[in-house]
Amino acid sequence: MTTQREVLSLYKQLLNKAYKFDNYNFREYAKRKITHSFKTNKSVTDGESITQLYNAGIDSLAQLHRQATISGMFTFDKLVVEPLKKHH
Amino acid sequence: MFRNALMRGLRAPLAARQSALPRVGAVYAPANVRFYAGFPALTRDGAKERILELLEGYDKVDTSKEITEQSSFVQDLGLDSLDVVEVVMEVEHEFNIQIPDNEADNLKTVGQTLDYILAQDDAC
Repeated sequence: MTTQREVLSLYKQLLNKAYKFDNYNFREYAKRKITHSFKTNKSVTDGESITQLYNAGIDSLAQLHRQATISGMFTFDKLVVEPLKKHH
Repeated sequence: MFRNALMRGLRAPLAARQSALPRVGAVYAPANVRFYAGFPALTRDGAKERILELLEGYDKVDTSKEITEQSSFVQDLGLDSLDVVEVVMEVEHEFNIQIPDNEADNLKTVGQTLDYILAQDDAC
């Protein structure tokens, strides 16, 4: 049985990994894909499908980890649409 | 022969280093000096302003009501549990801190989040 806490923790881990992408396009795509997948399956109540989706999420997390690491080996220029770091 | 020469050569700088050691601890560093690489101290008002700015920029927040410290993320701002996770992550990025899951569960209002941030030494 997958609890709400576990699901939220997975969501946070996925988003954290998505932020690690250097490239704007990869990063935004990953963030969009994660939020969209979680929001579309928000109303799922059946325990078995939740577990299935959760396991798919764990696999995606591993994939995201690999890809973010590989992406970190290359450098990308910042695009004009990316906000610069703010000073306090 | 070589070893003796080496030891003699090492001993002198070591003695010099030891005599220099106590001076390091006595470096005068007054608390009110601001270093070039440092951030200004985090005040409650400053932190509150930054959180409000962050929340107002978040498109799912219900902006019909004014956001105060008593505003609850779920009840007053109309966010669901997934959105709360996103807000907590944005707060983490904004203040350069890490909020563990069990602490994040207890952050239900803007004021509680502010209290948590101000309790962190490394928040900036």
